[in-house]
Amino acid sequence: MEKLLDTIRQAFDSIRTQKLRAFLTILSIVIGVFAIMFAGSLVSSINSTINQQLSALGENTFYITRMPSINIGGGHQGRLYWMRPHLDIRQFQKFATRMQDVAIVTAITGSSGFVVKAGNLSTDPDVSLVGTDDKYFLTSNQEILEGRALTPTDIQYNRKVAIIGNDIIVKIFPRENPIGKEIRINNRPFTVIGILKPQGALMGQSQDNQIIIPVNLFLINFASRWEQDLTFVVRSPDKISLSSTIDEAVGNLRIIRNLKPYELNNFELETNESLSEQFASLTGYLSYFGVFSGVIALLSAGIGITNIMYISVKERTREIGIRKAVGATKRWIVFHFIFETVVITTLGGIFGIIVGFGFSAAFGLILGTKITLSVQWTLISLIVSIALGLISGVFPAWRAASLNPVDALRYE
Amino acid sequence: MDESLIIKLDNIIKRYEMGENQVLALDDISLEIKKNEYVAIMGPSGSGKTTLMSIIGCLDTPSSGTYYLDGENVEVMDDNELADVRNRKIGFVFQTFNLLPRENCIKNVELPLIYAGVKADQREELAIQALKNVGLEDRMFHKPPELSGGQRQRVAVARALVNNPSIILADEPTGNLDTKTGDEIMKLFHKLWQSGHTIILVTHEEDIALNAKRIIRLRDGKIIDDYVNTHQILIEDQKNI
Repeated sequence: MEKLLDTIRQAFDSIRTQKLRAFLTILSIVIGVFAIMFAGSLVSSINSTINQQLSALGENTFYITRMPSINIGGGHQGRLYWMRPHLDIRQFQKFATRMQDVAIVTAITGSSGFVVKAGNLSTDPDVSLVGTDDKYFLTSNQEILEGRALTPTDIQYNRKVAIIGNDIIVKIFPRENPIGKEIRINNRPFTVIGILKPQGALMGQSQDNQIIIPVNLFLINFASRWEQDLTFVVRSPDKISLSSTIDEAVGNLRIIRNLKPYELNNFELETNESLSEQFASLTGYLSYFGVFSGVIALLSAGIGITNIMYISVKERTREIGIRKAVGATKRWIVFHFIFETVVITTLGGIFGIIVGFGFSAAFGLILGTKITLSVQWTLISLIVSIALGLISGVFPAWRAASLNPVDALRYE
Repeated sequence: MDESLIIKLDNIIKRYEMGENQVLALDDISLEIKKNEYVAIMGPSGSGKTTLMSIIGCLDTPSSGTYYLDGENVEVMDDNELADVRNRKIGFVFQTFNLLPRENCIKNVELPLIYAGVKADQREELAIQALKNVGLEDRMFHKPPELSGGQRQRVAVARALVNNPSIILADEPTGNLDTKTGDEIMKLFHKLWQSGHTIILVTHEEDIALNAKRIIRLRDGKIIDDYVNTHQILIEDQKNI
């Protein structure tokens, strides 16, 4: 025990006397561990945020889109997706009529980068515009804070009405109640009828910088010929009827889109579950990439450490000779050098964890996402650092211990 | 075996492989040294005196022959056991001092005690005592580069003494010192001899060797002469008159 304490003390002594070298070595580990930690905590935070958001949408709801929302790969399959016909407003009207007894159906489309003005005040060109109909608030988790939602007559007569989010109110109605006031979206006039309940940010994107208008007005005024594509949202009355509702929706849409029995669906169907699966595969790729680059960084760090410790052994040949002459055993020298390496790599690991978590936290702050310190990744990082020290310390330590004391003492 | 014998070398042969050639560094050396002897091993370079010192100091093992150090058969020991024997039985003093430059005197002197497993507070106490014995009590917290050559060699002597070894093995201890400082170190050895230590001095300088009580001369790996130093006894006698 006494000997162990002495080795620890001696290891710290030699690190202290080689500050720059130790610092650079530690730095190389910090980078590797940082990559692992950063990727790890970022991915787990993104995952938890996505799951939270998706579950808020409700499990009875599903979406029908032209293309899958996450399309990794492209290639032939990607081209096939692009060749599918749009889900346009006429198809939606037929679909809504056919589905009206079974479920609540709405259509959503949208785009961003709009300028909204009131009087002489103006927003930045970053407002998101959502075109939808009167069923929107029955299928989404958004709520009206004040005023009213879209009504069937708003939709029927294409009334120029808008429901606006809090960010826009802050910018162009700083002192007055916006309801009943006129705003201009890309210079087209709309009347404010409601205010959206603030939602905060998701993945760094404010959810409140948003305006909801009737879907037809959006398509006529703000969408090009190629953007007449809608997302159909279907909310089944309960979880039990979900699968029969899906069957019905698919059947109706196949009829509307004139698909022959032998043709495949030329649209995608996504439930919350399938969406979160797709996200999970995406973040899975992210975390593999982070871990992979971390492992590569640590591998080169390990080789660097072996090299540095080997040089250190070379430089300290005389010291090793002295220690052996006065009674240091082979075991002791091996232990001394391995331990020294492990102390360096562990310090690197700890700093890497701190820096990695710091960066994730800062990143989370910018994105508006809550970052959780992943115990799993911290442990992995720590174990990897210690193992790295053990592995890269073995060779130099063995070299040191095998030195012949007579030669070592004469070494210049 | 004779109780008073501390070193017993029998037919020691040491060969080195130098590529194709074999070099016979020690050629059938037999030697006995008793407790509290003061021996100088002399010889020109290449005579094998450094090899002999390495073997006596357990830094190296002979190619053949037997070596008893303080009653223990050394040539059958492995590396770790040899390290232990060096630690307990031998105090080294080198020509180039061989101190750890970044550690202060106390830490340097403590070094053998660390490997002997002595507890930290006891270690410091023993180290300070050893430094006092060599007259360095006011330099204890200095590091070797801040000391003069003579002071450094005294730190090395303190380190050699701290474990209370059976023999003190000094390899050209005055080789890097001026004559005056060298004489001081030799006086220190004399004092140690008087207090009961066994001292083996390896040197090629005649006047340094004359400090010893017995002189062994080597040439080409063989002992060519082994005699009592009458010169030294003469000086002692003169002092006594």
